[in-house]
Amino acid sequence: MVAPVAVPSAFDRHLLSRFSWGITPALIKESAAAGGARAWFDRQLNPAALPAAPPARLVEWWPHLQWSPAEKFAADQAGVHPGYDQDNDFCRWTLMRRMTSAQQVQEVMTGVWGNLLYVSLVRKSFPHLPRYDATIRANALGTYERLLVATVLHPCMLCYLDNAKSTQKAPNENLGRELLELHTVGRSAGYTEADVKDSTRILTGYRVDVGASCKAWYGPEDHAVGQVNVLDFHHANASPDGREVTLEYLSYLARHEATAQRVARALAVRFVADAPRTELVDAVATAYLDSGTDIPTTLRALVDHDDFAASTDRKVRTPIEDFVNTYRTMQVKISPPSADPSGAATSILAGCTSMGQRPLGWPRPDGFPDIGDAWSSASRMLSSWRVHKNLAGAYYPKVGIEYKPWEYWLGPLPVRFDDLVDRLCRLLLAKTRTPRLLATAVAAIDVQPAEIVNSSHRAVRRMPLLLDALFDTPDHMTR
Amino acid sequence: MTTTRHPDPAASCCDFDRSRRNFLRNLGLLAGVGVITSTTGASFMQAAFASTGAASNVLLVLSLRGGADGLSLVVPHGDIAYAAARPKLAVPSSTLLARDAMFGLHPKFAPLMPMWTAGSFAAVNAVGLAAPNRSHFAAMEAIEDADAGSVERRGWLNRLVGLDLDESPVEGAQIGSAIVPTSLYGASPVLAMADIDDMSLPGRDSPTGYARRVASLTEAWAEDSTSLGRGARAALDMSDVFADVAGQPSEPLNGAVYPGGDLGKSLGDAARLVRADIGAEVITVDAGAWDMHVGVGGVDAGLLTTAVEELALALNAFFTDLGSLGSRVTVVTISEFGRRVAENANNGLDHGWGNVMLLLGAGVRGGRYHGTWPGLGDGKLVDGDLAVTNDYRSVLAEVVSSRFGADVSKVFPGFRPTPIGAMAAA
Repeated sequence: MVAPVAVPSAFDRHLLSRFSWGITPALIKESAAAGGARAWFDRQLNPAALPAAPPARLVEWWPHLQWSPAEKFAADQAGVHPGYDQDNDFCRWTLMRRMTSAQQVQEVMTGVWGNLLYVSLVRKSFPHLPRYDATIRANALGTYERLLVATVLHPCMLCYLDNAKSTQKAPNENLGRELLELHTVGRSAGYTEADVKDSTRILTGYRVDVGASCKAWYGPEDHAVGQVNVLDFHHANASPDGREVTLEYLSYLARHEATAQRVARALAVRFVADAPRTELVDAVATAYLDSGTDIPTTLRALVDHDDFAASTDRKVRTPIEDFVNTYRTMQVKISPPSADPSGAATSILAGCTSMGQRPLGWPRPDGFPDIGDAWSSASRMLSSWRVHKNLAGAYYPKVGIEYKPWEYWLGPLPVRFDDLVDRLCRLLLAKTRTPRLLATAVAAIDVQPAEIVNSSHRAVRRMPLLLDALFDTPDHMTR
Repeated sequence: MTTTRHPDPAASCCDFDRSRRNFLRNLGLLAGVGVITSTTGASFMQAAFASTGAASNVLLVLSLRGGADGLSLVVPHGDIAYAAARPKLAVPSSTLLARDAMFGLHPKFAPLMPMWTAGSFAAVNAVGLAAPNRSHFAAMEAIEDADAGSVERRGWLNRLVGLDLDESPVEGAQIGSAIVPTSLYGASPVLAMADIDDMSLPGRDSPTGYARRVASLTEAWAEDSTSLGRGARAALDMSDVFADVAGQPSEPLNGAVYPGGDLGKSLGDAARLVRADIGAEVITVDAGAWDMHVGVGGVDAGLLTTAVEELALALNAFFTDLGSLGSRVTVVTISEFGRRVAENANNGLDHGWGNVMLLLGAGVRGGRYHGTWPGLGDGKLVDGDLAVTNDYRSVLAEVVSSRFGADVSKVFPGFRPTPIGAMAAA
């Protein structure tokens, strides 16, 4: 009798499941070595102390990700690398990072902030996108205040929400409005249209050339001087150099109680429940404000709240989460991209998109919805099941990918079928077999629990169906 | 499918007798990036079938996401303030179609002019939310929820569907995107699909394997009380129906040619659904690139003229494709808000308020401009925007009552519609 595959405690599984892109045997080991998931979490909150190896190499898979915005723009104009191709590769790189990064909490939070400070795949901002993403990642576990300044004033956001061309003579309200509505205080703060206008005036001067140079600069001649009032922020704004007033304004917004509520709520919805209790949101918002918008402190308050522990398996995995998690739990190895479009490094994007969600594919600046209702359509179920089937059976992708051999999933033979199901539940779902999972497995391949599986048993032939059946469950599709 | 069991009658009630009547009960809506389709509920649907046995009417709600500029779609060329507010972006009066003393249609509506002339294409001016809301997201939520003051998160299409007392397994569906929109959120189950051809479980060619898969999925999901569980059961329940739909020809009929892009694809799928005659009664389609803060352009080139052209070509193809079935189908457009009357300095238009709604097809009193016009002159604008003199719910109310006999007070609780006269009485 061999020792069964180790599984984490219920709480550890819960925490790992919420703060990683999918639990793998390697992650379970890593967490155990740290002394449990909570200690692992603390360690992850300091990504600089963690190995960065796989993602650092990944960027070489798509060289244009490291080009300057002007080089990316020129490659698009020359037709060498059209902008949409560059965007597609950026999406692939994002998926690969999530699958392979050792800095899982940082990678999860990069996704969270990227959805809150959202920039979609559009032409006007594409040359700046990889650097924008890097900016979010670098600030993902710092303070929200620094993150806000770095993203809102980033050339990518300035182009995306049209501040790049906004001047005192021709103010464009897009960023000034969404900064209030989406990135900070939210509509419940009660700001007025006059506030939106002044928010826009404060931001005038941050310019970007949307043409060939892609250059960003501050243009004092474009800055709208004169008294500004937004909510309780008042400033004489007398200097043509509006950068100081902008930083003061962003600091005011980042530390506003309504922003604390909005950020806390977004985190609570992401990590606890679709409809989090007010008590939880208040506790997280308080930690946010008291710590000067410190993200690790805020996240610890959330994770240590009773509501977090009580929310096991209650969140629906979005299609992207489902997709990345399935790849991770299959423990596949993906090779660098080749000219073959069916190669895994390339086809992962089509696979993920076929599930109904493409990275940065939401067409509006408010980011993807993060509640189960939005991701529970019949279509989503069918397309998820289709992708599960392809991966579980090693049917697709076939090129540029290395699957675990069937012997790995089977383990030592002979084995009772219910013990085999238990092994697979541990490997794929990080939990022991339940009666429902066993019944699901029994129905899937028509083998009874007490049957002994040896190398010639039909269960061996039907392993693709068995793996697939376990992926098509609530246990795999929730987190 | 006979192996599927449903221990939760509230979530899923029907047997799997695929009689036509059950199709009608089971199939709700189809939606998308997409398309949403929904049945309006067995209360009147059953009545329609019991009395006549004829196919039911269809409503297609086309959302112009981003806030379309109504003043460029239906141009108030006769309002002297229009050209003055838009020195660069005014659509020239000489180019307009269906021009009367005050209004005219954007020239790219040319493909729809036969419908205008035939009296089945109309516009309603100065429509919108009762109070200005320049936030895309809040405005869209408000429009799709359409129940002011209520904290319940439930969209008007879901309420329409919910008029059905006989809870069927699936009353809502979506094509083109797996994401369920606000108008469909709520207590009544909805179906959504990325592609109409992908709506059935693969492997039907092997009956034994297929039965095992269905049995296994049923074990996994039958008792799951979450939204995912509802989606999974809907997927299992509808798989057979959509296998039939997918089995029918997907090529457009009557020489219809859809423009490339999401809108054409979604309307093509919508036409297939209507033709399949499996009970889809409300279809909504999103066409989402109308947020033109920069680069609106003129009538020859630019974002707006391209968008209008795509819209007109797609709608023309849709009705051509439907042929005589078009006599059952009404299209209504909705956009979260209009654009500001004055152009900005980036050749663009910022968020405004009053907008236009377009009505096409069955029951429309077409070939004319409806709605009271507030004017664009001094003192007429609200904070720089066209005022709303016609609540968008009044238009929708006329449509749902005239085409479906729906109880307006249940679809738009607490709302008293004002007569617009855009629809022929039922």
